[in-house]
Amino acid sequence: MSGIAVNAPQTIQLLMGNEAIARGALEAGVGVAAAYPGTPSTDIIDSLADVAKDLNLYVEWSVNEKVALEVAAGASLGGVRALTAMKQLGLNVALDFLANVSLTGIKSGLVLVVCDDPGALSSTNEQDSRNIAKMFDLPLLEPATAQEAKDMTKWAFELSEQISNVCLVRSVTRISHARGNVVLGELREVSARASFDTTQKPYTTIMGGAPQYHRVLHENLTKIAQIFESSPFNGYAGPERPELLIITCGTGWLYSWEAIKMLSLQDSVGILKLGTTWPLPGELVKRHMMKAEKILVVEEVDAFLENNLKVLAVDSLPGRDRIFYGKHSGHINPFGEINTDIVIRALTNILNTKYIIRDEAYRQKATEILNRYVVFRETQFCPGCPHRGLFWALKDSLRLDGQEGVLTGDIGCYGSGVGSTGFKQLKTMHSMGSGIGVANGLGKLEQFGFKQPVLATCGDSTFFHAAIPALINGIHSKANFILLLLDNSGTAMTGFQPHPGIPMNAVGDPAPAVDIGDLCRGLGVPVEIVDPYDIEDTTQKLLNVLRHSGRPRVIISQRECSLMRARSEKPLYQMDVVAHQCQGETCGCNRFCTRVFRCPGLMWNTNTKKVEIDQAICVGCGVCVDICPQSAITRKEIR
Amino acid sequence: MVNSKACEELDTKVIKTGLCTLCGACVGNCPYLAAYEGRVLLKDVCDLPQGRCQAACPRISLDLDELSEVVFGGPYPEDGLGTARYVVMARTTDSKIRARAQDAGAVTALMKFAMEEGFINSAILTSFEDKSWPRGIVASNDEQILKCSGSSYLAAPTIESFNQVIQNPNHQSIGFIGTPCQVMALVKMRTAPPEISQNLDKLKLIVGLFCTWALAYPDFGRFLEKKISDPVVRYEVPPHPANVLSAYTDKERFSFSIDEVLPFVRPACRFCLDLTAEFADLSVGGGRGEVLNWNTVVIRTERGMRLFDSAAKKGVIETAPIPEGNLSRLKAAAYNKKKRAIENIIQRTGCTDDLLYLKGRPGIIKRLVAECREGSL
Repeated sequence: MSGIAVNAPQTIQLLMGNEAIARGALEAGVGVAAAYPGTPSTDIIDSLADVAKDLNLYVEWSVNEKVALEVAAGASLGGVRALTAMKQLGLNVALDFLANVSLTGIKSGLVLVVCDDPGALSSTNEQDSRNIAKMFDLPLLEPATAQEAKDMTKWAFELSEQISNVCLVRSVTRISHARGNVVLGELREVSARASFDTTQKPYTTIMGGAPQYHRVLHENLTKIAQIFESSPFNGYAGPERPELLIITCGTGWLYSWEAIKMLSLQDSVGILKLGTTWPLPGELVKRHMMKAEKILVVEEVDAFLENNLKVLAVDSLPGRDRIFYGKHSGHINPFGEINTDIVIRALTNILNTKYIIRDEAYRQKATEILNRYVVFRETQFCPGCPHRGLFWALKDSLRLDGQEGVLTGDIGCYGSGVGSTGFKQLKTMHSMGSGIGVANGLGKLEQFGFKQPVLATCGDSTFFHAAIPALINGIHSKANFILLLLDNSGTAMTGFQPHPGIPMNAVGDPAPAVDIGDLCRGLGVPVEIVDPYDIEDTTQKLLNVLRHSGRPRVIISQRECSLMRARSEKPLYQMDVVAHQCQGETCGCNRFCTRVFRCPGLMWNTNTKKVEIDQAICVGCGVCVDICPQSAITRKEIR
Repeated sequence: MVNSKACEELDTKVIKTGLCTLCGACVGNCPYLAAYEGRVLLKDVCDLPQGRCQAACPRISLDLDELSEVVFGGPYPEDGLGTARYVVMARTTDSKIRARAQDAGAVTALMKFAMEEGFINSAILTSFEDKSWPRGIVASNDEQILKCSGSSYLAAPTIESFNQVIQNPNHQSIGFIGTPCQVMALVKMRTAPPEISQNLDKLKLIVGLFCTWALAYPDFGRFLEKKISDPVVRYEVPPHPANVLSAYTDKERFSFSIDEVLPFVRPACRFCLDLTAEFADLSVGGGRGEVLNWNTVVIRTERGMRLFDSAAKKGVIETAPIPEGNLSRLKAAAYNKKKRAIENIIQRTGCTDDLLYLKGRPGIIKRLVAECREGSL
């Protein structure tokens, strides 16, 4: 059985933060888990799906985060503990429901794990989701280690039931994706007595009384703050009267420890580590703040903790001079990730000491070595990615068409279409499904003199997630746009999770698939299917569709993600370069294949000054054959 | 400009300024440039400072003396007709060709003969269908050649097809039928560095077509769409004084006055000096007056002459002397086209020192520039 489901209490497992969260849910007896994939949260549901059959759980990849939260809430109302996990942007999608369910409350434990992405390593924004807990008056836990990730998740179910409301756990990339030792607890069996009590008053605020529900929320917060006062996830270590008190949470805790150790400040600097960051355990915090005049708040992204501490200090510790350092003083950056160096710099600045973080000569040498051995790689589509063929055809057709067509888009692998891997074709890229929504707007500007064709890209998973209402909107408003559905048969960007268009569910069982083409046709939109590996035909079909305007049209580009395909099937073609046919630098093509087409499977040999196939990564899609003006690249069918 | 990019310079100096003749010389073997629906466009950014495009383009720069040296071994002549051995009337003896041909079928007959006799094994021709934009095709048999007889009077990127086959070992001796601008481009390509000109000796025969102007697609196509619903099978510009362009469907003839058609002439044609495809092996045009149903043929090169004489000897074509009046009228028309071109060039540049794409000053150009200067005084 998978590491997270091993029934061996008190043993130590090396778990990824996200696996630890999943394990915590199992130890709490979670029965239902639902989510839409999104880095860095995806592995939580992925690992629960892996053990779902063995432990009799219900795990699903939902169509989007709002539905996922609703599914989890439904389970909770039916008496089953439920978990949903999402990235920060996904939480925004779920907010409308969260704003309501937080007022009406739930029954069995309902935990919402949000994994923020400081530094936006795999996101289009950087947001501090802790503000959402405060906004909706919900308890918030912030793990600092893999162990805490497990323990806090388990505890969150209990807290949730104590106040009959959602409990939030906030992780970040470095907690979710790092591995650490976790001492396991008991697995708890899932209750099999699910039912909905129809005699209870309905879960709604619609009959009037939202303010009353709101009042209850505030009472709950007081109750939760009391519980937090004695939480083992909060604690102080350091001298009795520190010269400087660090108050920290999440990733900031270990960074702070390391900094103190490196600077040998154990005797003068203390750390108050908080695991329960909303509501604040006021008494505990006050006790420690009273003992120090200088306070450095170390946290990632917003000054969430810092601002709340300042309010507490003003309200509860009047007349005392206290200096706060942190985001507002400029000692800790309020954007991007933080690290030990940043804490060291803050400490040396505040305490007026010196510490050389990195020797200059060493730094120079390291940079030099890096530049020598590490190959620069831009964000690019994988070898054989169907998006490359589609974007190529799109680029050519827009140039040939000559009407300055505008391509809008959204988030997905194809979002890289803004860069040179997508030949810089994508001109807007925002949230899930936003390309088609923006295209709706651009497509209604004819009366203001707008003449350019409008196209929107959208992936198959994204289509189900957020694009269908926008398409319906465009049909009804007769907006003039072309929807390019890049159907690569899965949620490729997050690791090939299935979606409602795939005939398989999260646990690998057969499931009814919703056909995208049929769905669009059912809405009354003309639909054309293209194969992005056939550049000529795709270009021609795009050119044809660019000629007709006046209503939305759909082109579905159909090819399975080449990485997914490579897992189960042989390459389509054996690719080779006929060396005497490739004229290299004398061709006049100016390295068209590697400089413009840029598939990573094509390598420019700087010695022979000719192209070669990188057989180690080429997946044999065969598209580059049609790119070479000298027909020097060949493909042989593999049987 | 030292570090300018060849492609972009072509785009800004030739394509965007309306100097591009759509001959197709820059497309077909360059992945950056494409000919589509009556225009040449840049698909991707190529940052090479020099490239095939400029080496082939007759409108980025053209040295008439250099071209003349390559083809005829001497400087560009004073005669408005270019370098010519003799001028003669000719017509096909094949009734099948005559039925389809523009004038008297000499071009089709000569090309067909060249292939039958092994002068060439493939021919690059221009094909058109109905009102759509014409393109080059590669013909390797009689039937394909016959299908291309007649003209749509639309500019076509025919050299694109030539560029596509030039490196193909299956095409060892190639014939080409084209307009004066296309012929100039092919000859300019012969003057290019070896990596560009290396296969051009496969070009065994160039038949040039007399040309006063070419129409621009898609504008003229759209104009016709509005006037004619049936497919157009043949176009015709009858000789003076008819002053019309006729389009034939299977059922009827539609005639448009030349004044109605002229607005669709490609702007590039206003700057063209060459009425009679002066650098071809032989050039062919229509007849008029007493030789109305004949072609006028200018024999220019040794190999042009060999082919023509052989075709005449074998009875593929019949010949007749050109009436004296016709020859002088032709020479005057050729000279006048040059004069108009020089006038338009000078009007564009605003000075007589800058003649746009024309580099070098052969005597006849000097004379024309001087005439323009006097005219404007």
